[in-house]
Amino acid sequence: METILAQILTGLSIASILLLVALGLAIIYGTTGVINLAHGEFVMIGAYTAWALQTYVGAGLIESLVVIFFVVALFGWIIEKTVIRHLYRRPLDTILATWGIGVMAQQAIRLAVGGELRYVQMPSAMSSSVSILGIEISAFRLFILALSAAIFGFTWYLMYRTSFGMKLRAITQDREVASCFGIKSKRIYSLTFAYGAGLAGLAGALVSPLKSVSPEMGTTYVVDAFMVVVLGGVESLIGTVASSVILGELTGFLAFYSNDTLAKVLVFLAIVVLIRFRPQGLFAAKIRS
Amino acid sequence: MSKRTTLQIATYGIVCLAILLVPSFMDDAFILNKYARYLVLGILALALSLSWGYAGILNLGQAASFGLGSYCMAMALKLRTVPVHTGKTGLPDFMVWNNVETLPWFWEPFYSLTFAIFAGVAVPVAFAMLLGSFIFRGRVTGVYVAIITLAALVVVNLLIIDQQRYSGGFNGITDLAQLELFGLTFDAYSSSSYYLIAISLTVCLFFALAVTKSKAGLILQAIRDHEERVRYFGYDVARFKTFAFAVSAGIAGVAGMLYTIVMEFASPTFLDVQLSLSVVIWCAVGGRQSLLGAALGAIIVTGMQGALSESEIFLESWTLIMGFVFVMIVLFLPKGLAGAIESLVDRIIPEDHAVQVKSRAAASRRGVENEAGSP
Repeated sequence: METILAQILTGLSIASILLLVALGLAIIYGTTGVINLAHGEFVMIGAYTAWALQTYVGAGLIESLVVIFFVVALFGWIIEKTVIRHLYRRPLDTILATWGIGVMAQQAIRLAVGGELRYVQMPSAMSSSVSILGIEISAFRLFILALSAAIFGFTWYLMYRTSFGMKLRAITQDREVASCFGIKSKRIYSLTFAYGAGLAGLAGALVSPLKSVSPEMGTTYVVDAFMVVVLGGVESLIGTVASSVILGELTGFLAFYSNDTLAKVLVFLAIVVLIRFRPQGLFAAKIRS
Repeated sequence: MSKRTTLQIATYGIVCLAILLVPSFMDDAFILNKYARYLVLGILALALSLSWGYAGILNLGQAASFGLGSYCMAMALKLRTVPVHTGKTGLPDFMVWNNVETLPWFWEPFYSLTFAIFAGVAVPVAFAMLLGSFIFRGRVTGVYVAIITLAALVVVNLLIIDQQRYSGGFNGITDLAQLELFGLTFDAYSSSSYYLIAISLTVCLFFALAVTKSKAGLILQAIRDHEERVRYFGYDVARFKTFAFAVSAGIAGVAGMLYTIVMEFASPTFLDVQLSLSVVIWCAVGGRQSLLGAALGAIIVTGMQGALSESEIFLESWTLIMGFVFVMIVLFLPKGLAGAIESLVDRIIPEDHAVQVKSRAAASRRGVENEAGSP
């Protein structure tokens, strides 16, 4: 019983990180159709911003989060303004352009601060572990879990209870008609992209104490996050959560019974089969195509 | 044959001839080996151009076929070495280190080089046919094809890394014998290997060109432009797509085998996500809708990478420059360098007027549809 519970918690911990990375990606992809391969680099830049704030300003991780969000969001906003905006009519080409941007971002960071591994301190208040129902779990992981739930809640509120969200959903359904009603789709697109980037930055900052920070760290996240988005179904926030949990738990359990590599193989195989039979994802929202 | 086709074949011939003539001006073994490596990647890129540019299948897992081909060749060449620990006909060294007692059954046939060369094409083709018919029978299209192929690539890659006992794991298969064929020895650092690769490139290029000019090739291009319409005509779209996917995998398999010969090892990096995405970039730079363009794109980009990373000034910043160049090309030359050259040729040799008007109309119609389709 205890091992199962421990496994569920491990799975949830994996899932919360997946959700943080995938949420921004899901919003960008769902709204604009842009396949953002630079998303991993947004995560990486978030982690480096956390490191820089800690090393040069001496700010703790928790206090830095808001700053990190805005720094990476600004970065995303600039990229949308300069590159992505010209590619909305060629969605497949966004793969190439964002890949190029990702390569540039990696190298720029390498030139600016060096390629060696960096470490970010865990907030001291959270470096202990907490006992839940007899199972020890790191307080920081619990914090990530809570924060990702909160961020998801906020995003949901933004999408479904604010006028920004309503405009965004209108554009997603039909850009032309939405524009006719006076919605400035260009502005909404930039803001959406910036928001998605900011979320990725937060994800990077939050994983930075758990893993070492390196210019290449984003690459591992972007593929996994894409699988979450596709599995969950485009334009479905609930789907993104559900598929993060499914993938997180599945990875956790399979890794427990075999090994990490085989677990990943099985998860990817499951995704291949699933896309084949339900390309719209598990929890597809109904939209006009 | 139209004037354009003649011009195209002539261009292909001249470029291939130029590539074949390189060793007569160059006898530095190291540089020849480097050039041979670029040519192999050119073959890989033209394989992707066939499936992406002509059939509209964006295969982000092209490196899977490439890697499978390279492992087939590496297994055969590994069995031709004399292992230090176990002597002649003994076990490959990495198996000994992993406490494998007997040669696994799937290694046995690779004692025959003929079988290995056959397998280097057949295994990727079989894999592509299975995956392709699985995808295309389900009428999966667009981005989802890209993601499935990417996921499939990750699966193959992880499996090879995981099965260290039989595949050498992360280290791959190293310390290979040299390929001996028809009484010739193909040393990686010799003109014989260069010629082997240059001739393979020529053959693959013209084979792929013949495929695109065939009736099947025309149908594939029609599928790329409007899949539903072709389906209404009664064509089995899934079968044509699977065909293109498999031919492309076969060519990539050939490239993989050749890569093992010039690199003198096979490794899981030959089928990682990084390489697979790079192939897409090469095609985009060279021009995805031109086989020669894609091949030259790969040669130019990898050549530039090699040159920039060797020079003192750009040692640190060459990836930054490459990234910038990619972004600019995607933004301003969506059809790549070949597309830019083609539009130049169009101005010099105008097509038959009626055809031009028709294709313009079709292009603008497509534009409208794309606009409606994009979110």
